[in-house]
Amino acid sequence: MLTTDSLRFAIGRWAECLPRCADELNALDGDLGDGDLGANLIRAAGRLEEAAPQLPADVGLALLRCAQAFTSVSASTYGTLLATGLMAGARLTKGREAVPWTEISVLLEAALRAMMQRGQGQLGDKTVLDAVEAARSATAGLAAPAALLDAARGAIAQACDRLRDARPRQGRARIFGDKGIGRDDPGMVALLRLVECLQPTAAP
Amino acid sequence: MMKKILNEPRNYVAETLEGLCAAHPKYFKRTGAEGRVLVRPDAPVAGKVGIATGGGSGHLPVFTGYLGPGLADACAIGEVFSSPGVDLMADAIRAAHGGAGVLRLYGNYGGDNMNFDMAGEMVEFENIRTTTVRVTDDVASAGPDERPKRRGIAGLVYCYKIAGAKADTGADLDAVTATAQRAVDACRTVGVALTPCTVPAAGRPTFSLGEDEMEIGMGIHGEPGVRRGTLRAADEIAEEMLQMLLADRPLAAGDRVSVLCNSLGATPLEELYITYRYVARRLAGVGVTIVQPLVGRYATSMEMTGMSVTLFKLDEELEPLLLAPCDCPFLRI
Repeated sequence: MLTTDSLRFAIGRWAECLPRCADELNALDGDLGDGDLGANLIRAAGRLEEAAPQLPADVGLALLRCAQAFTSVSASTYGTLLATGLMAGARLTKGREAVPWTEISVLLEAALRAMMQRGQGQLGDKTVLDAVEAARSATAGLAAPAALLDAARGAIAQACDRLRDARPRQGRARIFGDKGIGRDDPGMVALLRLVECLQPTAAP
Repeated sequence: MMKKILNEPRNYVAETLEGLCAAHPKYFKRTGAEGRVLVRPDAPVAGKVGIATGGGSGHLPVFTGYLGPGLADACAIGEVFSSPGVDLMADAIRAAHGGAGVLRLYGNYGGDNMNFDMAGEMVEFENIRTTTVRVTDDVASAGPDERPKRRGIAGLVYCYKIAGAKADTGADLDAVTATAQRAVDACRTVGVALTPCTVPAAGRPTFSLGEDEMEIGMGIHGEPGVRRGTLRAADEIAEEMLQMLLADRPLAAGDRVSVLCNSLGATPLEELYITYRYVARRLAGVGVTIVQPLVGRYATSMEMTGMSVTLFKLDEELEPLLLAPCDCPFLRI
């Protein structure tokens, strides 16, 4: 079951592993944006770590606190989108102290819908939305955390492969047009690394 | 070079807010992270629908200035021309909440929309009910069939006035929201820019215009307008602006409107009155009556030279609300 302790575990892993991905993410983002994606994620992980000891047992309220950690570090669209996804999950889990792992896919679906609405983005735009959709679809029906993470990681990596040669259609990368062709979307890669951080064997 | 009365550019907003509160302690108090939320000192007013607003700095008296009885209750303040963050907006909503819910009333800009929506979702977890009305009065920013995409400019002042007056009647959140939207629907504005402004932290003008040029329809952050051309006589500019406004929302003999002639910052009152004189004559000529005109600096873009004209079509609900008492350093009725 997903509990607040599961969130604490994830936060601990991100705080430990994300710094090792920072240069890669900053560089990817620097090609198509302002180059602060890795730095912003590390700052968010720091805020999450500070908040971790006091997270409430209610999973929904704990996810809300996590969303606030993202919105407190930067006004970047990526941070706001991740926070939006977390809040969508928070609404579905509010009032519960344990959420079955089989609901992860449902939570991802709610997150995806909310993120699409907030950012006015579509699937196929080559953004983090495509990575969330890949994870949602791959995790449906799975009940074991290790299997969930494996499936999500594989699916996001595939989505990156599939869209690498597509032209970005949303956000700042869109403005760079053809320059985005042949490059991974920084937001998709960031989500991939976030998942990998949670896997002892795949962690960067 | 940038010629401004400044200390460190990075302190521009903080020092502005410090001075604003020092000058008007009866009206403004700072709260929230880094004092970036301004509230009226008696906020929240128990039992009254709260009105929270917010936006970037550089537009005084919008957005921060219109707090007080008969106006808004709290304002989240961003850097010059940039949206305040989600947390500040959530703080503004909390500060405005007197138990009857909060209307989020602000100009229609992408960053503000996203952040204010998020802030509303956050405070929902604290059982604060919120609604949203986005001001979309700038006719130059999108066509009539795309009105919800238009930006909010000087018409914000009327919307604060009407929503604040409605909230003071004891109306509930849904009623205040509906009336605020009615105010938005009744408002049309168009601006003209003559010279640009400079964001202190950037140090360079936001756009350039030739010595003898003007741009009709330019936004308050220098967003492109509808037509750039040679600067013309005041009456010709006023006529072109009126034609745009009336084409978008025609007026008929017997209609009653309020008119706001607004300086974008550097344009003096004299030139606003020259324009108002023409607008008043022209509207009188078609049998339209002007009620409670406003002429002055209401929604600015720092030192931009230029002005905007707003027509606010009144009806049996809006007119008494416009004339109801309100009190802040920048608007008293």
